[in-house]
Formats: sequence, structure tokens, C-alpha cells
Amino acid sequence: MQRRHWLAASVCGLASAAAVPGWAADRLRIGLTPVILADQVAFLSRWGRYLASRVGIEVEFVARESYQSILDLLFSGQIDAAWICGYPFVRFENELNLLAVPLYQGQPFYQAYLIRPKVAGAEVQGWADLKGRVLAYSDPLSNSGWLVAQAQLAKAGVPVRELKRGFFTHGHRNVAEAVAARLAQAGSIDGYVWETMRSQGMPAIAKTEVVWRSEPFGFPPLVTRKGPEHPHMESLRLALLRMSDDKVGRELLASLNLSGFTPGQQVLFDSIRRQAQQVPGSGVGG
Amino acid sequence: MLRRLPYRVQIPLGLSLAVLLAAVLVTAITARVQAQNARRDTLALLDRAVVLVIAQVRPLLAADDTWRVFSLLRDTVQLVPGADANLARLAILSPDGAVFAASDPVQLETGRPVLGQRWREKALASAVNTERRALLGLDDGSVVLIDPIRSEDGQTLGFVFTEVDAAAFAPDWASLARTALIGIVLAVTLLVPLGWWVGKRMARPVGRLAEVIERIGRDDPGVLRADVPKTSDPELSRIGDAVAQLMGELERRKAAEERALSAERLAAVGKMTGAVAHEINNPLAGLLTATQTLRLHGGTEAIRVRTIDLLDRGLQQIRTTVAALLPQARIEDRPLEPGDLEDIVTLVQGVADKQRADIHFQVEVESALRVPSAPLRQVMLNLLLNALKAAGDHGTVSAHLQADETQVRFCIRNTGPVLTEDRFRRTLTAEGGKDPRGFGLWVCQELASHLRGRFELDATESAQTCLLFEVPNREAPEGLT
Repeated sequence: MQRRHWLAASVCGLASAAAVPGWAADRLRIGLTPVILADQVAFLSRWGRYLASRVGIEVEFVARESYQSILDLLFSGQIDAAWICGYPFVRFENELNLLAVPLYQGQPFYQAYLIRPKVAGAEVQGWADLKGRVLAYSDPLSNSGWLVAQAQLAKAGVPVRELKRGFFTHGHRNVAEAVAARLAQAGSIDGYVWETMRSQGMPAIAKTEVVWRSEPFGFPPLVTRKGPEHPHMESLRLALLRMSDDKVGRELLASLNLSGFTPGQQVLFDSIRRQAQQVPGSGVGG
Repeated sequence: MLRRLPYRVQIPLGLSLAVLLAAVLVTAITARVQAQNARRDTLALLDRAVVLVIAQVRPLLAADDTWRVFSLLRDTVQLVPGADANLARLAILSPDGAVFAASDPVQLETGRPVLGQRWREKALASAVNTERRALLGLDDGSVVLIDPIRSEDGQTLGFVFTEVDAAAFAPDWASLARTALIGIVLAVTLLVPLGWWVGKRMARPVGRLAEVIERIGRDDPGVLRADVPKTSDPELSRIGDAVAQLMGELERRKAAEERALSAERLAAVGKMTGAVAHEINNPLAGLLTATQTLRLHGGTEAIRVRTIDLLDRGLQQIRTTVAALLPQARIEDRPLEPGDLEDIVTLVQGVADKQRADIHFQVEVESALRVPSAPLRQVMLNLLLNALKAAGDHGTVSAHLQADETQVRFCIRNTGPVLTEDRFRRTLTAEGGKDPRGFGLWVCQELASHLRGRFELDATESAQTCLLFEVPNREAPEGLT
């Protein structure tokens, strides 16, 4: 059934933002991007069972390395909701609805970080020092992992072509590891991910340090495709918003280093929108 | 040191040392072989790793994906020996020869030009000139490999740079030592009790043999022979046979010694008997002559008295001589008197008459004589008879008794063949050993020795034989009667 559904979605709706809904009424599928540390199968299974008990149908998570892959699945109707970054949300906000916005330290905001290897005599003190150096990004559709870097490099007067090299690592976690291994001399990373990795004692974080912190941006939201919603989508929204009300939900949120979910407003992402408008080729018009 | 220890310690210790030595040798040989094989195996492994990397990296290079190339290299380099100790590293170079990504970005930082540059004092060919694999052996034994990465249509997409430090080819001493140590511990754990048991088993017959040898001379050989352990070991069996043979030899030797002792006792008895007979026989001829004189001229008072005195003194001499052989007899001997020499001359006169030989004697006594008469008379009698015998028929014998405060000398000469010092010594030795017939000179020497005097050939006399008997003029030492 699922395979047939995917096949139909691939054939009929891959290239179309207004794809025919391909959801099955007995299951909700949520796409995950590297905006969170979502590679723990046991945790996702527990979270899925928790949401399913609240929603009344099976809930499963679909993780992909790139934001674009998740967007493709969402727009092709192969998933019902997606946890994406604020930048693709503002870029495709005409086609997306907010499902919920996570609360990090009680606020629907996070920061982007510029990190460098934690070594004696590190030369990178800020964006302006990146000329002739190697910079690691997360994803072309990441706010903190690409868009912020583009805006700050421009602001610092360092054209991207004057970097020795810039490359994508397909995830904020990999940005930290690339900088820790000194594959890159600096990395543009999601501050929430970096802090979460630090709280979990991941080795790569001990070898990196934060050089710069951005202004607050709207936290990467959970979104749905505009149009007919899955019949249980409202139940899912309520389950997410009420996770902080019970013990199991709070434990799951603690694992995510979050404090809860809020319905959110588009205005939360205005700062991202403004920034994207300043970056040529961001896809966000003025 | 080791040889002082008992077998039950020596053997396990020896076995353990042998195991240790074998382990060290095996480890050394293994290390050498491993060192030879390690380089070849590592290079072969590098070949396979490079093939794998080239196959995997092509689409990543086409996508310009530095992170995934880094991930690939980071995982692949773990296949290369020494990578965990940071002794091996892989890098993908861009078509212009700069580092695209490396497994160890600290040593091979991203974007660093490599081809056409110097690498650890060695010049690397430029990217353009690297059309096939380049193998670079560094002075310290490290190896650098550069393999071009080609697209299907032959375009150079980049290069695989592989470097393995010399230490990666070295034997894994720690691992070898650990293996050897485990082997040694296991072997020693097994061999020590086994060796102790074998040593004890081996030493048991040796101990029993030693015990038997210690009892030789104390216990009955028959019992000891039965106690010699029977063993199948050829060496121990030889020792046992040798011990049995030794006991047989000792038994035979003991029997021979007993026989020799018995014969020696018999010889001593014979010798003593001969000496006594000689000493008694010497005055007997004179005494028989005296009895003949008494029978013919006993009517004359003076002759009768003188002859009876002569007989009395002669018999007293014999009595004293015989008494000397009896430990329980204690006969007081009188001191020598000047007339004793005349007595002795009278006793031997019969012998001299038979040889028609002349006897001259002279007595010069300036002091009282204190020496005992019996040994001195015995000496004078012996020497006179020997001198008459040496002088032969018609010969002349001169006897001179001289005494002063300190010494008593008896000097006797004869006109017979001159006795040399050498022959004199040989005669004394012969008489003291195997020639019981000539006891005269030997007895004189023994008496001179006992009286703390001397008996020797007067070397100043060259024309005649002159024997000198000289003793201190004092009473005889205790024990001589």
C-alpha cells in the first residue's frame, strides 16, 4: 500500500507543488531534516508511538539528509508534514502552512553560530577573517547553515569566491565535525544543534568554539502543504502543542533539548525573510 | 649456580629457560618475517584501498562534495595498517594537485597544493606530468603513492594521495611480546610441575645410588649390591654397574690388604726371630770356645775364674738381648766397662783364629763410662764379627774404644776391600728390609739412633774401611734395657 502510494506520488506529483494528496487515512508521516539530531531510531520510534497514542493513528518519521529531499517528499504528497528550516519556509511560504513552532529555552527562536577549531592561535575571529580560508556550510536551504553565512560574508566584505573553499556537509552536526577535524577552518551552524550536541557531550563540540552568534531567528518550524490536510492533522498539532503537559512528552522534549511547541506565526520568520531578500539567489523576493 | 640445584629444580628451571629462549627466538624470527611481510601486505592493501576509493569518489568529485569525500577517506583509511596510530593518511587531490579533502586535514589541509611541490624533502611531479601511478619511497622508509582518478572518457578528475609512515611497516612488538608472554606463562605453568615431577623421578635412582655409595665401607657389600637401583636408563644403569664393580674391586682390595698384612706380620716375626737368633748366635761361638778353654785349662785357678766371668758376662748379654724382646722384663743393665772390649775380642778370637786374622784393640777411657754395657757390647761384637768377615783370611782388624766426658766412640777398621759410602747405605737399607742375614750393621744403626748417637762410615779414611759408632756418654734413654 505504502509502496503503491509512493509510486503514484512519484509519477503524478513530483514536479508539482499542487500534487494530489497521497496520504493514507490510517497513518501520518512526518519528514525530518538535519534541523534536529534526528538520527536516533529508538527515540523516533518512542516519539512516534507517543504521538500515535494521542492522534489515534500510526505516526512515523521519515528522515533525509537534505532539506530539498524532504521538501520534494512534502510537495509530492509522500509525507504529510515536515520539520524544515525557516529559510525554506519563507521561500515557499505561499505553499506551506505552519503546523507548530518548537520552543527552545521557552522561546520560538534560535541563533546561528560561526564556529572554528578550538586550537591555540586560531586565526578566524569573525566573518572578515574567512578570506582565503575554508568554510563549511550545512545545506543550501538552511538559514543558519548557508543563508546567514552568505549575508554575513557580504556584510564583512568577503565575496564567496574569495574563500579558499566552501562546501556543504549535509547537516549541522557534520559542520561541527568538519570544523573539529579541521577539514574546514570555520563553519556556519545552527546554534541550537551545537548547544544540543554540547549538552550531549559529543566529542566534536569539545574541539570547536563559537566565534560569532547571530540575532534570534524563528525556530525551524513544522509545516504542512497548503491544500487539503490529512484528517488527523489537527490532532497531530494538538498532540505537539500539549507535549509539555505530560511527563512522557516532557521527557521526549528534553531529549530534543526543547521545552515545547507553539502554534507560531509567520511574523516569527520576518528576520529570515529580510535576510534572504538581501542575499542574491536566495529565491526570496523583496 | 644451576648445577648446584637438585634435579627436581634444575629440570623445570631448565625447561622454563628453554621455553623462554625458544619464545624469544621465535618472536625475533616472527618479527623479522612480519617486518618483511608487513610492507608487502600493506602495499597490497593500499592497492585495494585505492581501487575502492577511486570507484567511490568519482561521483562525489563530480558533485564537488568535499564532506562526503572526507567521510569516505576517513572510513577507508581505517583499512590501512597504522591508521589508528595516525601513521597512514589518504587524500583526494583536485585536478590541479591541491587537497580536495583528506582523512587527516591537520596534516593535509584542504586546498593545500601538493603536486608539483616538495613533500618531505622529495619533489613531487606536477599534476600534468602524473599520468600513471607514482610510487615515492622516502628516506625514512615511508611510502607515498599518487594514483590518477580518471573519468570513463579518460579525463583526469583528480588524484588519490596515499602516505604510509615507515613505522606502519614495523613489527607489532607489543602484540608479539604479549603473545610470546602468554605462551611462556602457559608453557611454564605446565612445565614447572611436570619438570618437578620428572626431575624427582629422575633424581630418585641417583639419590639411591648416592646413598649406596655413602654406605660403602660401612655396610655389607652384599646388602649394598642388592640396594643398587635397577633402571632402564642407560646412563644410570652404567653408573649402577660401575658402583657394583667398585664394590667388587673394594672387596678384592680389602682381601688383598688383609693377606698382605698377614704376610707382613709373618715377615716381621721372621725378621725379629732372625735378629734375635743373630744376636744370640754372635756371642755363642765365643762362649763355646770359653767352655772348651774351661774344659782344658779349668784346673788353673786364674784361667777358670776368668773364663767363668767371661761366660757369665756373655750369658748376661744374651739374657739382656732376649729381655729386650720381652716387654714385661725389666733388667737393670750395668754401665760399660773398659774391659768389655777385651771381653768381646776374646769372644770373637775363635773366629779370628779360624781366619788366621789379627785383632788389635785399644781402649782410651778418660772419663767414667755411663753408657749401658749390653747395647755397646752388642755393637762391638757385631762390628768385630763384620770386620773379621770383611777383612777375610790373614786380614787385620783394629778396634778402638775411646771415651771422654761427652762421647763414647767405637771405631773399627779392617784391611779388607774398602767399603764405599754408597754400598754402606745400600747394605744398611738391605739389612733393614729384605736381608735378615746381615742384621749386624742394621742393629748398630738402630741402637745408635736410639741412644741419640750416630753410626756411619768414616769418609776421611780412604785406605781402609773405618766404621764409627758414637753415642753420648750418658745413661740410656728410657725404654732401652
